[in-house]
Amino acid sequence: MNRMRRLFFAAVPALFAGGLQAAGTAMTPEQIKGAERIESVTIPMPGEFFAAIGKQTRPNWVKLVRTGTPAATANRAQIALMLGTLVADGYIAVEAQDSQGVKNIGKEIINLAKKLNVSQSVLGRGNSLNDFASNNDWSALREELEATQNEVKLDMEEQKDGSLVTLVSLGAWARGTEIVSGLVDGAYTPESARLLHQPAIIEYLLRQIDVLPAGLQNDALIAGIRANLEKSLAFVQAATPSDQDVKGLRQEMTVIVEEITKGSKES
Amino acid sequence: MTALLRIFAVLLALLSVAPAQEAQSEPPVETDVSARSKALELAGAWSNDGYKIRDGYWSGELEPNRPKFLEVNLFAGNEYWFSGAVVPPARKIAVSLFDGKGKPVAYQVYENGTMAGAGFLPDTSGRYFVKVTLVEGEKSQFCLLYSYK
Repeated sequence: MNRMRRLFFAAVPALFAGGLQAAGTAMTPEQIKGAERIESVTIPMPGEFFAAIGKQTRPNWVKLVRTGTPAATANRAQIALMLGTLVADGYIAVEAQDSQGVKNIGKEIINLAKKLNVSQSVLGRGNSLNDFASNNDWSALREELEATQNEVKLDMEEQKDGSLVTLVSLGAWARGTEIVSGLVDGAYTPESARLLHQPAIIEYLLRQIDVLPAGLQNDALIAGIRANLEKSLAFVQAATPSDQDVKGLRQEMTVIVEEITKGSKES
Repeated sequence: MTALLRIFAVLLALLSVAPAQEAQSEPPVETDVSARSKALELAGAWSNDGYKIRDGYWSGELEPNRPKFLEVNLFAGNEYWFSGAVVPPARKIAVSLFDGKGKPVAYQVYENGTMAGAGFLPDTSGRYFVKVTLVEGEKSQFCLLYSYK
């Protein structure tokens, strides 16, 4: 038991009658198969990923902040994916404590959301992002970025655009993984590489792509991303991905993010 | 803030949760909205110790003898609190955790009738399962969300 774990479990038990415990019996195969997957809970946000890597290394977040306006496209699937990558960029700007960067990214998120005909309430989120950034309220910004993403998804579902919801999550996860795999690749340690062991997320995203409407599945961008995700799966199977695994994962994620963010794709 | 101060802050926050519940003069609206607000109330206690609350949540109906499971994906090194709540006629809820293969893992317990929490520091990144169980009372709405730092 490492020092952090000892501190964590030593600190809280005094407060509760229950203390430390484990459930009595293991789950049955049926229970594992039947477990629910709720995208807004099952898929971690980039902020969680960045919090974890921040404990392993000292990333130069300022250097990682991406600037510029996303390429123009009328492809709604690509817009949803771009929106996800921007949410991840928002978290990077928060880690960098780059107030103006957060404001710029927030503006781009809202501009993309408008193209998807989202409601007025989402547009209000843009103002909140701006206000929190002006006040350097980084903790609130982390929660507001996720709330903005979830509100966009809610609007998509209400507008019968539910198939695009997964693409927002996919974009955010891919951009977050591109960043973290790059950081691990730059200064490989087994501890930091362990953060990349997330096969269940890739499997979930692949299953979600497989239930998209046929038109979307045949979209060149989506089909390409699916292929990259399948290749990525091999790199995250080991509990401690090797140096080569990390490089492979980074390469696949870079391709995915580049494909999402470059010019218009025919749908 | 020192570790001692942080513990004190968590203690104060948790003490403030229970009385708030007892002080309710009107019966809660028995929907998943009130279950969510109770779960948020509990999660708020961890926020005082630097935990960030996920905006997403899991809600639905919980019946006696029919626990529910949710898949989550966690990162080694992060600290997590899963906060669950039910509304009357449910009286007691429990939250427990399992690894990606469904084996029980050790977690920190918080139980206070209609609210329960599980604190966890994963050694390994990847898939885990959260189980919510209705321990006492009748079928009711539940809500679960989590916080991390």
